[in-house]
Amino acid sequence: MDFTTTLANMDWQQVMLLTWQHVYLVGIAVGLAILIGVPLGVLIVRLRWLAAPLLTVATVVITIPSIALFGIMLPILRNTYIALDGVDPGIREAGRGIGMTFWQRLWMVDLPLAVPVILGGVRTAVVMNIGVMTIAAVIGAGGLGLLILNGIGQSNVPLLVIGAIIVSLLAIVVDTLLNLLQRLLTSKGIEQ
Amino acid sequence: MSLPTLRWTRLAVVPLAALALCVAPLAQAQQPNIRVAAKAFTEQRLLATLTQVYLQHLGYSVDVTWGLSTALTRPAQLNDEIDLVWEYTGTSLIVYNHVEEVLDAEASYQRVTELDGEKGLTWLAPTSFNNTYAIAMPEEIAQRDGDIRTMSQMAEWMAAHPDQFHLFAMDYDFAGRADGLPGMAERYGYRFSRSELRSMDPGLVYLALRNQQAYGGIVYTTDGRIDAFDLRVLEDDKNYFPAYNAAPVVRTDYLQAHPELREQMDRLSALLDEETMRGLNARVDIEQQSTTSVARDFLSSHGLI
Amino acid sequence: MTPPTLRRVLGGLLGIAVVALLILWIGPSTIARFRADLLYYTGQHLLLVACSMVAALITGLGAGIALSRPSVSKSAERFMQIFNVANTVPPMAVLAIALAFFGIGGTSAVFALWLAALLPIVRNTYQGLAGVDGALKEAARGLGMRPLQSLWQVELPNAWPVIMGGVRIALVINVGSAPLSFLIGANSLGNLIFPGIYLNDPSQMLLGAVATALLALVLDGLAAWLTLRLSRHQAPSERAVV
Repeated sequence: MDFTTTLANMDWQQVMLLTWQHVYLVGIAVGLAILIGVPLGVLIVRLRWLAAPLLTVATVVITIPSIALFGIMLPILRNTYIALDGVDPGIREAGRGIGMTFWQRLWMVDLPLAVPVILGGVRTAVVMNIGVMTIAAVIGAGGLGLLILNGIGQSNVPLLVIGAIIVSLLAIVVDTLLNLLQRLLTSKGIEQ
Repeated sequence: MSLPTLRWTRLAVVPLAALALCVAPLAQAQQPNIRVAAKAFTEQRLLATLTQVYLQHLGYSVDVTWGLSTALTRPAQLNDEIDLVWEYTGTSLIVYNHVEEVLDAEASYQRVTELDGEKGLTWLAPTSFNNTYAIAMPEEIAQRDGDIRTMSQMAEWMAAHPDQFHLFAMDYDFAGRADGLPGMAERYGYRFSRSELRSMDPGLVYLALRNQQAYGGIVYTTDGRIDAFDLRVLEDDKNYFPAYNAAPVVRTDYLQAHPELREQMDRLSALLDEETMRGLNARVDIEQQSTTSVARDFLSSHGLI
Repeated sequence: MTPPTLRRVLGGLLGIAVVALLILWIGPSTIARFRADLLYYTGQHLLLVACSMVAALITGLGAGIALSRPSVSKSAERFMQIFNVANTVPPMAVLAIALAFFGIGGTSAVFALWLAALLPIVRNTYQGLAGVDGALKEAARGLGMRPLQSLWQVELPNAWPVIMGGVRIALVINVGSAPLSFLIGANSLGNLIFPGIYLNDPSQMLLGAVATALLALVLDGLAAWLTLRLSRHQAPSERAVV
């Protein structure tokens, strides 16, 4: 059960399939998290008293492995809140001055300004979620975690290590790509 | 490596069964069709592959459903979605029929034959291998501590050396079951302290024993890692562990339609003893050969294909 | 009652209500059945967290302080990038690799948890110290403080809230990741969670998960309290400077 035998016997087609499955699961989870996290972030900027309890609940949720899938909402929620909260009051005032409603200001002023920070949250969420999905194999969801779990199940340490390296590479590559995307999507006007 | 996980297979059973129902009448004209199931571990994949290759050679068309969980296999067979599955006497007795009485190998086989017969399932002749629980120790440690060979000797040694730390590794299933750790400790008089007991993934138990991190641990008697990791299986001298002899279980309806299957499967079962099974498992788990090539090799060397 | 007190009382009541609901959800019989296990594994969990957090605090604070020194300021950003890349490696992968080096059990788990907790501490220590107003450091030097004195009496107290923010994140990550160490043969609350999943016993799984979450909350609350408590040692005027 040495490293070379394991490497020679790897079913790379299956590895590709598992990688794809992993990315797909992460995509769905993060998509859902954006759909829920951003509106919630907007909500708690309006209803301040909800901010502290909601952020606390989100913090708790990420500590539970099996429901952590929903916890990836946290970075998105928090960054949306922080970004919207941090919009210069002067700009907000100016929007109000020209007669914009709350929703108009949100859509045309606040959110575009907040995009880079929200994307930062999405990036954190994606990276976190790639890690969390590794554990999802335990509940039969598939993904690259299966390589690690199979390595454990077969007492095959090389397989375990190969699985760990592949999933780490995936996380690093995706993180780098999203970093580039974040820079591309930052409005020229607010670059520093 | 078993890709299909519980969820996939559960989804797969329905369309597969539907497909089989549509195709079966067409296929029957030329060759008999048989639906075989394998549970999600190496030995089961091997037994199913052996059956598949062997029966295909005899002219059957064979559909295999891979990676079913134990909990799903029996309902699927009773539902007429599976014709043949390799079962273990202990599993049928304890899990499916809820018999708590501890019986020896022969009595177990007799009992499951009766109980499952009433449900329309026939047990063919059993193999001689018994894939049950056992305690294994790292060979080196067993020799060092007075050449321990039986479970009672281990209890004696431990009682005589209370200062020694005896880490005992077992899978979480064994740790939690009433007929697992608590019963065993009572029967043999093991006195483990709480910190000496460690439950973990079954694969880690073998690693812990190989690395001599554990003093003893629960293994399965036909596992290929026993020889490869230089482990010594202790004799269950007080007959605590139930018998888990494997045999093909076939739907009685199917057997009546294809009576020749009994004699055909008996020829295969007769070849499978404990040593052989452990060796075959090792070729898949340790040498990482595919189950198909191991099965072909074995069958052709015994003249079955 | 003043609003802050009222809020605190309401918060407390809400907390008690949530815990009561959780206990109902899990079922008192499950808790009774696993009482001994729950206590034992909570202790083991805390042991893993304590060992790895102490190691992470020592190394993380040390590295953060070292990186914020003027003499290494040029290469500090590059080091932080390396730390950031290391942080994207999933804890499960770190555990797996640790298993290959240290074998099954506690050592591997402590190593992996140490690494998971390290980055937030290093990052916040570094950023907190780098963010201290230059004028303050200047003033410290003007008063004749030596670098160590300046660090201890001026820079660290000013960076304290940011540093503790990092420590709290590290703590929650640490407590939350510790159950995974079941998968490499170490004892933690994961010994309730994973068998619960595998053996299809949801109440057992929930018990472990809820206990982990409560543990994270309590420890985080403790750290928050500690942050406030230790911040009070500063003179009010000193805090007002920032």
